[in-house]
Amino acid sequence: MKLTEDDLYRSSTQFKHWSFTPEQLASQRLKTNITASERVKAAVKRQRAQRLRQQDTASTSESERNGSGIENGGNTPIPMDKEVNCLTVAEEQKLVNTFCERAIDLGTFFKFPTEVIATGVQYLRRFYLYNSPMTYEPQTISRSAMFIANKTEGHHLTLEKYAAGLTKTSTEQVLAPEYLIVQALRFHFDVRHPFRGLKGGHLEMVEMAKGNAAILPTLGKSAKELQAEMQKLPRKAGGPPTNTTIKDLEKRVTEAYGHASHILKTAAILTDSYFLYTPSQTWLSAHLLADEPLTHFYISSKFPPPATSNPTYTKLLSKLRECAALLSSHRSFTSSSTSKEEKEAREKKEQAEVQQLIKKLRHCRDPDKMDLVKLNKAQKRDAAEGGQLEESKAKRRKLEREGYQKEADEFWGPELPKMENGAKAN
Amino acid sequence: MSKAATRVGATPTKRLAEDGGASRLSSSLHSLSLRSPSKSTSTPAFADSSSDICPVCKSSRYLNPNMKFLVNPECYHKMCESCVDRIFSHGPAPCPIAGCKRTLRKAKFRNQTFEDLRVEREVDIRRRVAKILNKTEEDFDTLLNYNNYLETVETTTFNLIYKIDVEATERRLQAFAEVQRAEALSTLPASQASKIRSVSSTQQITDSKQESSTDRVVLKKSAGQRKVPSSSMSTPDPFSGAENGDVDSGFNFHGLKKRVAPEPEKPYDPYGGWSVEPQYFILQDDYDVEWLKHTKDEVKNAAGGYDMKDFYTRALCDAFSGFGVFIDEEMTARDNQASGDAVIGTQTAAAVAAGGRDVHMDDLF
Repeated sequence: MKLTEDDLYRSSTQFKHWSFTPEQLASQRLKTNITASERVKAAVKRQRAQRLRQQDTASTSESERNGSGIENGGNTPIPMDKEVNCLTVAEEQKLVNTFCERAIDLGTFFKFPTEVIATGVQYLRRFYLYNSPMTYEPQTISRSAMFIANKTEGHHLTLEKYAAGLTKTSTEQVLAPEYLIVQALRFHFDVRHPFRGLKGGHLEMVEMAKGNAAILPTLGKSAKELQAEMQKLPRKAGGPPTNTTIKDLEKRVTEAYGHASHILKTAAILTDSYFLYTPSQTWLSAHLLADEPLTHFYISSKFPPPATSNPTYTKLLSKLRECAALLSSHRSFTSSSTSKEEKEAREKKEQAEVQQLIKKLRHCRDPDKMDLVKLNKAQKRDAAEGGQLEESKAKRRKLEREGYQKEADEFWGPELPKMENGAKAN
Repeated sequence: MSKAATRVGATPTKRLAEDGGASRLSSSLHSLSLRSPSKSTSTPAFADSSSDICPVCKSSRYLNPNMKFLVNPECYHKMCESCVDRIFSHGPAPCPIAGCKRTLRKAKFRNQTFEDLRVEREVDIRRRVAKILNKTEEDFDTLLNYNNYLETVETTTFNLIYKIDVEATERRLQAFAEVQRAEALSTLPASQASKIRSVSSTQQITDSKQESSTDRVVLKKSAGQRKVPSSSMSTPDPFSGAENGDVDSGFNFHGLKKRVAPEPEKPYDPYGGWSVEPQYFILQDDYDVEWLKHTKDEVKNAAGGYDMKDFYTRALCDAFSGFGVFIDEEMTARDNQASGDAVIGTQTAAAVAAGGRDVHMDDLF
């Protein structure tokens, strides 16, 4: 009974529950958007009707102005017949992406390790696959998701410290959506990242460049032969063969690693690459973007020659191209062709769009899910109404507690008398 | 009884005992027991189980409600706890009941379980026999043979209980136990057998030590009592040497199956036979990379048992886990499998496979 690396990945929850084809992903997002907007509309309608009834009973004079009502707790009168303008799927997606970026900023502000940041962002993305920003506000969710990521990645951080670092956030606000998020994640805390894989590949490439790598026996080449081939690799895809020294080759490998690592830390976690591709393919695509000939060479060394005739090889390569296209489509990916002004203009446009979206979101929030702290409290045992339990219940609770204490005293004996100023007594 | 007690007087008896004059004590007790109106002549020791007066010190439960009676499985003579403490706390001593000359040890004294001491003794004997003759029906090839075996067991037990031919029976039992042990040892793997053998030999040594200490203690006491334990110990010896040739296994049971050695236990495999076989890489012993030098050289890493190889394995395994997994293909394959031949719409199957196979928890919130 033997397991290959692929079998290991197939056993992960990331593959089983959080891998999708692009169509599946789109349909799931559409479904989430539709349910969320329906719910928002229904909730708003209900609330308006309630307000109307209250107004009716409160003042008969105002009932003449039938066309006006109050929405969302704000005191601004809004025409009653106006439908709520909900976010579209694309707008939702944009908002989520924006808040993912902000989550990265949050992580860097707290100096979290890369894994923690990446995991937190993935939690956020997974959460908004089944929930809409209209239902739960991305700002609060992203804070909690980051905190959960800290715990699951084993990076210790106290809640107080975390909440203190955030503006206008109490510890309760961090904890309130926690269970919500965990449930939406289906309790799958394991996120497979491409970072360590990239390191592993880099290790092998360095050894290959040095000419003492362990080569797969199916390749039928010696390490020295491979090294010689590697030295002849062209700088650019389709370029003329070069003759690099071993030292330069090592430098080239290391540079490619640095570039790929940067792509993985930004573009990879901000796109759907975790849903659509395996971590192995993700890091290889990032590497492909960083140094195409080198990556080609490396992948072909994993298949028996001639690699180009191997169907898996061609399939893999097309997959990597797809993934690379996805990664490079993200705006954080800067190729050498874009100028600085162009980039700044793009950023500005993006900012304006996002601001507008946030404004729009304010008008289509689900009024039922506004106060997560209160909702969280309500879910707990004997939800306290305004911090006060019912009197009879509180009394009963107190009696019970005394009874337990008495029982314990009978069994273990009463508590020892406290020594007053212990050390000084002697 | 009470009359007798008053006649002799409780105080002189006690003083005698404290003086350690075992012979005088026993003789006075002997006269006591002679005078006491015993219910049965054959087994006087078991007869007065209902009485509440200690036969040794004559103190009664009426005066001391907390009094406890103890018996020693050597002779089953009852006496109160304080007597046991008094007589046996300095080591083995002869039974204070007149006419009984067995050497008793304090450690062997215990509460009696059954009111009738004969029952107590019978249970003890049955327990001992069952421990040695411990065959089950599966050990015999036919039921008849098993029944014959049971018959033998019962006969042996009966003999021991009613003291018929005790010595010979005991010897057979011992011999059989010996043979059984040897057989068990021979079927065990060598390492375990030697361990058990060493344990049993140390046990024997401690046993013999105890015996010798008993002898010494007895030596210190009066000379008249010395013979008693040594003779009882040494009697079986000359016989056993002679009889070893013909009755060496003690009992001969027909149709007893040969003992089969149990399968040797395999070493524990925590992965249950599974192993990871890398398909896309071959692990090297070491990777010479600049950014790893620091970690490698640091002493504190090595001290904690951190092995760089663990990192290499994990990194390379991560590098290729999912190398040949094409998500879109596998997902569609899974969808098709999920829908199967049933005419369920592909839409529902897609929804099921899309990770939302559990209840839509969104509604829970």
